[in-house]
Amino acid sequence: MATSPSAHAGEHADEHGHADHRPSPYDPRRWLFSTNHKDIGTMYLIFAIIAGLVGGAMSGLLRWELAEPGLQVFNGQSVLGIVFGNEHNYNVIMSAHGLIMIFFMVMPALIGGFGNWFVPLMIGAPDMAFPRMNNISFWLLPVALSLAVLSMIVPGGSMGTGFGGGWTLYAPLSTSPQLHGGPSMDLLILSIHVAGISSILGSINFIVTIFNMRAPGMTLHRMPLFVWSILVTVWLLLLSLPVLAGAITMLLTDRNFGTNFFNAAGGGDPAMFQHLFWFFGHPEVYVLILPGFGIISQIVSTFSRKPVFGYLGMAYAMVSIGVIGFIVWAHHMYTTGMGLELEAYFVAATMIIAVPTGIKIFSWIATMWGGSIDLKVPMLWAIGFIFLFTLGGVTGVVLANSGIDTVLHDTYYVVAHFHYTMSLGATFAVFAGFYYWLPKMSGLKYSGFLGGLHFWLMFVGVNAVFFPQHFLGLQGMPRRYADYPAGFAHWNLISSYGYVITAVGVLVFLAMLLDMFVLRRRKLNAAENASPWGEGATTLEWTLSSPPPFHQFSELPVIAEEKHH
Amino acid sequence: MASHGDVKHDYHLVDPSPWPFVGSLSLFLLAVGAVVLMKGIEVQGPLKGLLAHGSPAIFGVGAIGILATMAGWWGDVIKEGQKGHHTPVVDIHLRYGMILFIASEVMFFVAWFWAYFELAIFHGVRADWIIQGDADVMKAWAHWPPPNVETFDPFHLPLMNTLILLLSGTTVTWAHHALQKGDRNGAMWGLILTVALGSLFTFIQFGMEYPEAGFMYGNQGDVTTANLYGSTFFMATGFHGAHVIIGTIFLTVCLIRLLAGQFTPQKHFGFEAAAWYWHFVDVVWLFLFAFVYVTPKLAMEG
Amino acid sequence: MKIGRIGSAVAQALILTAIGCGFAVAQTVTGPVDGQIGLQPAATEVAEDIVKFHTLLLWIITPITLFVLALLLYVVLRYNRAANPTPRKFTHNVAVEVVWTVVPVLILVFISLFSFPLLFKQEQIPPAQLTIKATGNAWRWDYSYPDQGVDFASLPLSEKDATSQNRPFRMAVDEPMYVPAGVNVRMLVTSNDVIHAFSVPSFGIKEDAMPGKVNETWFNVPKEGTYYGFCQELCGTYHGFMPIEVRVVSQAEFDRWITSKGGELAAATPAAAPAAPETAPAETPAPAGAPGR
Ligand code: HEA
Ligand code: HEA
Ligand code: CUA
Ligand SMILES: [Cu+2]
Repeated sequence: MATSPSAHAGEHADEHGHADHRPSPYDPRRWLFSTNHKDIGTMYLIFAIIAGLVGGAMSGLLRWELAEPGLQVFNGQSVLGIVFGNEHNYNVIMSAHGLIMIFFMVMPALIGGFGNWFVPLMIGAPDMAFPRMNNISFWLLPVALSLAVLSMIVPGGSMGTGFGGGWTLYAPLSTSPQLHGGPSMDLLILSIHVAGISSILGSINFIVTIFNMRAPGMTLHRMPLFVWSILVTVWLLLLSLPVLAGAITMLLTDRNFGTNFFNAAGGGDPAMFQHLFWFFGHPEVYVLILPGFGIISQIVSTFSRKPVFGYLGMAYAMVSIGVIGFIVWAHHMYTTGMGLELEAYFVAATMIIAVPTGIKIFSWIATMWGGSIDLKVPMLWAIGFIFLFTLGGVTGVVLANSGIDTVLHDTYYVVAHFHYTMSLGATFAVFAGFYYWLPKMSGLKYSGFLGGLHFWLMFVGVNAVFFPQHFLGLQGMPRRYADYPAGFAHWNLISSYGYVITAVGVLVFLAMLLDMFVLRRRKLNAAENASPWGEGATTLEWTLSSPPPFHQFSELPVIAEEKHH
Repeated sequence: MASHGDVKHDYHLVDPSPWPFVGSLSLFLLAVGAVVLMKGIEVQGPLKGLLAHGSPAIFGVGAIGILATMAGWWGDVIKEGQKGHHTPVVDIHLRYGMILFIASEVMFFVAWFWAYFELAIFHGVRADWIIQGDADVMKAWAHWPPPNVETFDPFHLPLMNTLILLLSGTTVTWAHHALQKGDRNGAMWGLILTVALGSLFTFIQFGMEYPEAGFMYGNQGDVTTANLYGSTFFMATGFHGAHVIIGTIFLTVCLIRLLAGQFTPQKHFGFEAAAWYWHFVDVVWLFLFAFVYVTPKLAMEG
Repeated sequence: MKIGRIGSAVAQALILTAIGCGFAVAQTVTGPVDGQIGLQPAATEVAEDIVKFHTLLLWIITPITLFVLALLLYVVLRYNRAANPTPRKFTHNVAVEVVWTVVPVLILVFISLFSFPLLFKQEQIPPAQLTIKATGNAWRWDYSYPDQGVDFASLPLSEKDATSQNRPFRMAVDEPMYVPAGVNVRMLVTSNDVIHAFSVPSFGIKEDAMPGKVNETWFNVPKEGTYYGFCQELCGTYHGFMPIEVRVVSQAEFDRWITSKGGELAAATPAAAPAAPETAPAETPAPAGAPGR
């Protein structure tokens, strides 16, 4: 939605004075002890980029291993000086890839990074509600990541170091004294606890900020959709993460203190872990995508130079996705033998989510309809997102049908589905947001050529990686296999070639950053300093200088009534 | 920022603070230390002893760091409050923040109740499933609570504890009303009573009730399902007990602050937060009492 | 990446197809075929329904995706800055909003018309003439035919054996599971340690092997042949190496096989009794890697 501050507030947009006494970036205390939402947001973004590179490199090992039948990497020989012992190590890398991408790349980028930077700016607030707590939300993440990395190198169990039970941590594989008796899994459990605390504290901070710190006149129904998306997201986190915390605490006691929650021999129930996990896990996937929805709404509106179509419908579609997201979790468990009635219920509930999501897709297109579209780099990513997310979403609807999920569950069809929603959906939204706000955050211009090249390489690359995986899944290829029969060779090779293209795309991304921040450092000129995107960019952050003052809105902006809607 | 010059809003722009970073580092040590205590991490070289199974050093340092962080951080919050940074709007932040924190705590207990209910309600179904030749397990699962478990008589110590907690809920309210009316003495006695009742609850639960339990936590019992009952029981009531202790400490801090004259009839959010937390702990207990103590007893008799 | 190995991979796939054509007359081999893009050919009625249902879904989701793509391309071409310099400002249109809410609902209702009957068919197990129990172990499958008194373990063939016997590596096993053609088979699935999953894609079945619980499913394969499946729930290091090979043979050959395994030919009694408590667990020594508690 377009919100413009009254003329009165605009005068203070590029204020100077005390607020601009920006501490030196070379003072470590500025970062370690920060209580500034923009600095903390920046740290989140840098953290996400590092985690993305690590997770991306790990997926490279996976694709290398899977390029052809036989064991290429995890065969006891050393790769780049590191020994990859056996299939267990494949599983370790695969689990770490999933966890790192979700908890340390997408979430920190979208919620911690963009959320921190732009929620206060967009609602006209000087900072977050709890600036100091904001900092611990960030610093707990490197702690969690270190624990996860440590977990990969300490003894896991009889098969080698690390935990190789998938990001879903299913018991009793994760509690088996034989297979995962070592300290590795315990470190991973605590890593997830810590990441969870980080997110819960962050969620509290966002909810309070959004409820209490909106500038005068910024009613809930005038908030930009990105703020709405963060609001729904953090509610999901606040209500689902503690349940995960309980579940993994039970894993911990099953492992160390002799309880039998998930151990059938002691009367416990392994399926109970799955219920608890997915009660968190399904809302979690919407946590990954909803902020992306918000970002895409801002970008589509900006570059079509047209207000968002159906603003209220867009906001409440996200709310209903969030609410329904809590009651569909067992669609991940159709093959556990839940019984007919439960399966039928979860089929119906799951499919319903396609309706609000469809509203969003079509409203974006309606926003573009009649607009004056500028195909700048962020808009490319946004359009790519809409198409690829639709593709990933409709395969979700296929999987929602228990009758067909009996064939597709735990095959590469599922892998294809969730990479289309996460690696092509959420990650495209990350890049879209990054290219959209990068000039605002840095005050610098980037090379549109490199940005565009990055987009096209990634677009082609990830499609080549993941589209063929639908075919593999339909043919029955199981996921989490380090090696496979010859019948799956063809499409796996293509998928791995696709990775090479993707990797080149990521290199171009790094080149873009190098060019922007080190080589050329082109400053935005005075005319475009506040808003390089022209009159389409109507949210409050574009009224400030780029980069914004260290403390903005020392005098709160007043939001005027909107003419439209 | 030291000077707030021409800031024209009532929000609190907090000064840079070392505590988040110190706290995070401490939590790292605490986590690694916990794993060392539980399992130990095998390494060669100088760290060998430090990481050996059961070595408490890392955990200890982490714990000290966490305690220091809590003291330093909340101490700063109190100081800021006294400097007048907690304007009405910041006060509302704190209130929302506390409510949301309690909401997340509620969801944490949902996990324990989930485990308890799933095991309790579907025990019959599970008895039909169990196949691994374990006749004992199967037999045990035909009943809930399992036959060799001797549950507590809910109308004995647990009922007493229920009354104690309910009573402490009224004393804390008394303290609140006294505080609002400016009756410092009344507030003090209300708080002292609440803390005493809270401590009494903890003593009865951990000191008198737990040692009498007719079932075990974890694998100490010899019949497998019995300890499953015990596990859910002790996890749910134990986490609740831990929250009672936290709440008692919270209230004790409030008592000290009251005596130090830090609360006024208008501004005493620290106290209110403690009271809210206390009520939350109270409500959780009522659920525990109803479902973990009373219902199984009735089910056994009925 | 060594391209040479791809050649051999393709060759292996050809072998697989070749077995299908020439190995034994009227013997089909069903498993993954390299380069294919659809579901495996259906071997049971349920699987046929699944294939049909998938085709139906494909005819729904492909047009939806292409429709979105077409709209995107259209707006980009029609309303880009050059073609449409001044943007319009409308933000509402009740008619289209109703359409894009109601039409998806109708589509979903339409999908459920086919989805639920399929689900019922899978989950309602008809009277069966043969009961087989598969037990997952880290890492191999144990099979038991409780009514015939046959128990055995099934291990994957080594690469050398597979090549020398001209059978597909990573799919072929030393002791396949035998079933007679055209018979309702009730499949009981459980596990001795961690969770596994018993799946044969061409039968349209996949059932998790949960420790402490027996899951049930069923199939009826009219056509004789060899069918391959996999363990499809992550069960640790060698999760990839516990394949499933099912031989569907004539009743006579099945009987011969049962006798050769030392089993008795049970009168074809429909096993109606509840599965769980009766069927004793397969008496097999725990494998080295099996987590024991
Ligand atoms: C960002 C993450 C994300 C998102 C947004 C989604 C969205 C959806 N997912 Fe996905 N999913 C995952 C991440 C995600 N998923 C992950 C990570 C897993 C695997 C976890 C694991 O096992 O490791 C998974 C697995 C998974 C399964 C389990 C598969 C299995 O293991 O067997 C199922 C089954 O129902 C499912 C369904 C859906 C559905 C129905 C949606 C819907 O929300 C999609 C809705 C969108 C659309 C439908 C497109 C747009 C709509 C229109 C254009 C309107 C018209 C359309 C119709 C009428 C059809 N998902
Ligand atoms: C967000 C989540 C995410 C993302 C982005 C990816 C990205 C990729 N994934 Fe991943 N994957 C998962 C989540 C994700 N994956 C999960 C949850 C699993 C399941 C694990 C399990 O089974 O337990 C999985 C499993 C999985 C498998 C299956 C393994 C198996 O079952 O055996 C494979 C195999 O090909 C694979 C490949 C890839 C590849 C080639 C990419 C490529 O797209 C990678 C290219 C790199 C990038 C796209 C990252 C670039 C981003 C940045 C550099 C950060 C930028 C940040 C800012 C701008 C702030 N993944
Ligand atoms: Cu057995 Cu996977
Ligand atoms: Cu889901």
